[in-house]
Amino acid sequence: MAFPHRPDAPELPDFSMLKRLARDQLIYLLEQQHEVDKLYKVESKPAVSSSEQLCFLVRPRIKNMRYIANLVNADKLAGRTRKYKVIFSPQKFYACEMVLEEEGIYGDVSCDEWAFSLLPLDVDLLSMELPEFFRDYFLEGDQRWINTVAQALHLLSTLYGPFPNCYGIGRCAKMSYELWRKLEDEEDGETKGRRPEIGHIFLLDRDMDFVTALCSQVVYEGLVDDTFRIKCGSVDFGPEVTSSDKSLKVLLNAEDKVFNEIRNEHFSNVFGFLSQKARNLQAQYDRRRGMDIKQMKNFVSQELKGLKQEHRLLSLHIGACESIMKKKTKQDFQELIKTEHALLEGFNIRESTSYIEEHIDRQVSPIESLRLMCLLSITENGLIPKDYRSLKTQYLQSYGPEHLLTFSNLRRAGLLTEQAPGDTLTAVESKVSKLVTDKAAGKITDAFSSLAKRSNFRAISKKLNLIPRVDGEYDLKVPRDMAYVFSGAYVPLSCRIIEQVLERRSWQGLDEVVRLLNCSELAFTDMTREDKASSESLRLILVVFLGGCTFSEISALRFLGREKGYRFIFLTTAVTNSARLMEAMSEVKA
Amino acid sequence: MDCYTANWNPLGDSAFYRKYELYSMDWDLKEELRDCLVAAAPYGGPIALLRNPWRKEKAASVRPVLEIYSASGMPLASLLWKSGPVVSLGWSAEEELLCVQEDGVVLVYGLHGDFRRHFSMGNEVLQNRVLDARIFHTEFGSGVAILTGAHRFTLSANVGDLKLRRMPEVPGLQSAPSCWTTLCQDRVAHILLAVGPDLYLLDHAACSSVTPPGLAPGVSSFLQMAVSFTYRHLALFTDTGYIWMGTTSLKEKLCEFNCNIRAPPKQMVWCSRPRSKERAVVVAWERRLMVVGDAPESIQFVLDEDSYLVPELDGVRIFSRSTHEFLHEVPVASEEIFKIASMAPGALLLEAQKEYEKESQKADEYLREIQELGQLTQAVQQCIEAAGHEHRPDMQKSLLRAASFGKCFLDRFPPDSFVRMCQDLRVLNAVRDYHIGIPLTYSQYKQLTIQVLLDRLVLRRLYPLAIQICEYLRLPEVQGVSRILAHWACYKVQQKDVSDEDVARAINQKLGDTPGVSYSDIAARAYGCGRTELAIKLLEYEPRSGEQVPLLLKMKRSKLALSKAIESGDTDLVFTVLLHLKNELNRGDFFMTLRNQPMALSLYRQFCKYQELETLKDLYNQDDNHQELGSFHIRASYAAEERIEGRVAALQTAADAFYKAKNEFAAKATEDQMRLLRLQRRLEDELGGRFLDLSLHDTVTTLILGGHNKRAEQLARDFRIPDKRLWWLKLTALADLEDWEELEKFSKSKKSPIGYLVRQGPSLHPIPPSGE
Repeated sequence: MAFPHRPDAPELPDFSMLKRLARDQLIYLLEQQHEVDKLYKVESKPAVSSSEQLCFLVRPRIKNMRYIANLVNADKLAGRTRKYKVIFSPQKFYACEMVLEEEGIYGDVSCDEWAFSLLPLDVDLLSMELPEFFRDYFLEGDQRWINTVAQALHLLSTLYGPFPNCYGIGRCAKMSYELWRKLEDEEDGETKGRRPEIGHIFLLDRDMDFVTALCSQVVYEGLVDDTFRIKCGSVDFGPEVTSSDKSLKVLLNAEDKVFNEIRNEHFSNVFGFLSQKARNLQAQYDRRRGMDIKQMKNFVSQELKGLKQEHRLLSLHIGACESIMKKKTKQDFQELIKTEHALLEGFNIRESTSYIEEHIDRQVSPIESLRLMCLLSITENGLIPKDYRSLKTQYLQSYGPEHLLTFSNLRRAGLLTEQAPGDTLTAVESKVSKLVTDKAAGKITDAFSSLAKRSNFRAISKKLNLIPRVDGEYDLKVPRDMAYVFSGAYVPLSCRIIEQVLERRSWQGLDEVVRLLNCSELAFTDMTREDKASSESLRLILVVFLGGCTFSEISALRFLGREKGYRFIFLTTAVTNSARLMEAMSEVKA
Repeated sequence: MDCYTANWNPLGDSAFYRKYELYSMDWDLKEELRDCLVAAAPYGGPIALLRNPWRKEKAASVRPVLEIYSASGMPLASLLWKSGPVVSLGWSAEEELLCVQEDGVVLVYGLHGDFRRHFSMGNEVLQNRVLDARIFHTEFGSGVAILTGAHRFTLSANVGDLKLRRMPEVPGLQSAPSCWTTLCQDRVAHILLAVGPDLYLLDHAACSSVTPPGLAPGVSSFLQMAVSFTYRHLALFTDTGYIWMGTTSLKEKLCEFNCNIRAPPKQMVWCSRPRSKERAVVVAWERRLMVVGDAPESIQFVLDEDSYLVPELDGVRIFSRSTHEFLHEVPVASEEIFKIASMAPGALLLEAQKEYEKESQKADEYLREIQELGQLTQAVQQCIEAAGHEHRPDMQKSLLRAASFGKCFLDRFPPDSFVRMCQDLRVLNAVRDYHIGIPLTYSQYKQLTIQVLLDRLVLRRLYPLAIQICEYLRLPEVQGVSRILAHWACYKVQQKDVSDEDVARAINQKLGDTPGVSYSDIAARAYGCGRTELAIKLLEYEPRSGEQVPLLLKMKRSKLALSKAIESGDTDLVFTVLLHLKNELNRGDFFMTLRNQPMALSLYRQFCKYQELETLKDLYNQDDNHQELGSFHIRASYAAEERIEGRVAALQTAADAFYKAKNEFAAKATEDQMRLLRLQRRLEDELGGRFLDLSLHDTVTTLILGGHNKRAEQLARDFRIPDKRLWWLKLTALADLEDWEELEKFSKSKKSPIGYLVRQGPSLHPIPPSGE
């Protein structure tokens, strides 16, 4: 069921060091430095505390500064004097100090920094826990986190040695990479001479592949994330899952033996696996019968605890599955998936469009509707003007007029656009092909690509063979390729790019793809001359997702790793999914 | 070899003193030393001379000349003294020349006669004038002590961090003390002074009378006192020609000596070294030099010329018009090896090596002798150590050769002491060179450390030598070569006669991209010298754009700073520059600047979104960005405005902006919203309940749920709600109401545009039982 790694697969580096580092720093900061004894969450409502000193641990955002300013000023009005300490993580920004100054409390607070950037969520997953990265960079064009990314990479290279092979695509990837290199050059000496532990690093911007992130997830971990939302590697299972009246917070990582075996599985396999597991468990319990006293003593002292633990986890995941099933059947999941697949493959566009329209009309879910609209727009290189207007009108009528701003955001980010009249992809292609005979063709195509940032999904899909040809039923139990994470209908674009580049050890031969991704200048390879890297380290690959990655992508690459004898390590600004992306783009009434 | 110990003079039984020449001086002095104020810095430092015209009444009209020489007599600086009368000169630990004027002002000059700064020793000093002054060294740096005309003392223990202390009064002091000195004990500076037969110790709080133990009777006055280099020992010279030597704490007497010369000595200094066998004092009169210690006899030298003594860590330097000599106690290793008829292992090894060179079999005999005693290791060590204390390179070589010869017969002799000594001696010989003129001994060098020596070379602008030393000793670049190059560059930018281009190019050629060199520091120096253009040129070479920004801002090149900040990718830096620009430029220019820098613009917009909404609007206006302006007003319509009129007005402005942006769709949608908003308001007034801010769909649903079917129909018509939606809406709402009758009526009224999905659709709430 769960696929074992090839015997020659390399060991993962030990990331628990990062966790210890973060924990020790935090404890030192809060307990030793500031003697914090009670923790509150920074929320919109004022904190009620009678203590003499307030200590804020915040992201450097203007919103947070105003929250603090309001609190301090309220204290001042009430004639209260306390000490205030603001700890910025990962760093202090000048703008924040400015705000404190403008609010007239700069003298009342003292500031500190906590340079924390990497949280290991799992043995192969590091998160920077910066969900705001996506909106900040891809919508607002704010580059503040690039420095943080560069610092994080620098930290990794000091801890785990230099990376001999670097690849990347996207503007943010390039900037982060260059900044990181600068940091390394400034502080050289430290990493020099160290044996690299991780052979490759791949940086990828989220806007290279929105499609994958917008699809409904059907591997177990992704589905759990879509349904219950995994936060910082743990999930809150409500009463409907725990089959009691309490909700339960559960850590989801490789230490959960049951979860570890099903996390990367297509959902259709999970039930079968769980029931098999339950039967095995029962059989183990049943062994008690016919035991003598001594055996029983052994059983109780050694095995029972493990079995009970497993039992508990098993029933939790079975509960989660049932809950997912219930929700999905209610939402007409089959129909939804069918539409998504049609969009990915590019047939029955009209039908899909009316499906989306109905989705909106029935007010199923504002975020879901938006997601489908974006998926339609990206796969089709923008909506045709008539649909663009009518879908938006419908949407505004259903979900409120403030979404006019949401649409403006989505357009800016290139997620929901309008085709220029008569400018479908085929039209462009025919134009270009006509020009090929012309000598100026090269120039003109360049001009074309710079005209508008088009997604070119269809062309890329064809080039990279993202839609597998199906002969007969796709066997989800024994997947053939990464497409299994989307029921065999689509190979995630981001993962395919990574696969292709790793195979070639460069971008060579992928020029056309790079051009279609609008990244002619932004794809880079950097092989260092050091050949100290062991063959084992060369099969360890760090993939950096700038703007977030989904669990489906993680599962797909884990699958690829098992097939090819690699191990992938993931570094993401945050784990994301379609709903989070859409929420980041949405305007809501405050 | 026979005469090698010819200049050794025994003092008592245990110690020898030797005096050898460091340099013959050809500094071409116009004046006699005795007519000058003289100051020589320790550790082979420079010598400053200022002919003292203020002492005698004559020739006060001629301006004196301040001259600075290296220890070998090479002129470093010469300048006309234009300030007031000087009482005393002295060198600080950083080799800065402190000139104490009569009015209590201390002028500080660099090694090359460049004026650095000045400070005053306070009002009291100014009023009473300076009678005498001393510059002394403490753990914290260099101090100044002043005796004023009112016979009071003022001192500062560290001129770098000036804190003046006025010492307590000495009771009954009517005239100047016959002699005085500063002491440093337990990190506190004291003053010891002699008035007639009495000694007083002044500290911050009190004045106490002290008596040296075992002082010979009959003393009516102290003529001279001397404190050792390390402040541990004190020597007193009385009017009876008697010298008392003891500890500074005045608790213990070391020895005494009666020289029977009653004339006051010109100078008296200690001549000892760390772990000295003998503690001796050197006393100088006009024509006589005497070394006295714990021995009945003293060593006497005749001085041909007017001389000056400089106490050092391990000896005394003596310079005159023609020579510069060093007098010290012969170190143990040298003594053992060179003493006549010495049988010390080192001496035998040296002999063995010499015989070996002569190809004599005696070499073997000597060697055997040492080996039989098992002292070969010791012999090698002795030779290495003795080499360090030799001044003449040929002696150093022969000792090192002996050590190297001995090493061959040892199995495991760690080579580093030998190698290090060779390296150290090369460095020492290099800096002792006549042209450099830093006559450091090995012990002084070790005390000073290589870092300080490099600093001193840099201070003398001997950059190439400093770099060679760094490279030779393989010092890490950041501490060594880079640092020196950076100093060189900082010096280079001060050369005003060279054009900016040439200086920048020269600096870049030399420095290249040496790690650890900060071009921005050099540029800052250039800017400090008023060479802004040069500073900008230099900043071009700075690889870290982040480093360029603060200086550019300081130089008021904010626009350049902005583009550099953007280059650096550090948004925080960009923001710093932005706020600078905002204050510096008028609004129009500021916006224009932003317009050309999209990254800065988006950053500033972010800031405005939270802090300065009005500015944000202005920004959009300025750019004719009607689309964003429309969005801005839309947001205002529900975030900023509360009254319905205000909201509608905001929407109207938004719609206008959208029209201007040719975004018909958004304009229409906005107008619809205006209508809806007004309508919702009316509904609230007429029907009660909440309608405001519902979406159109929800408004209609609410109407149906409230039983206002007519109104709902009307609304749907007014806003052209498509049939499909209306059907969904009605069915859902009626089903929610469980109004099956109305539902049936509705379903029969027209043909359903959504087919029969309702019945199959599992998502619809309760399926109407009669709907079949």
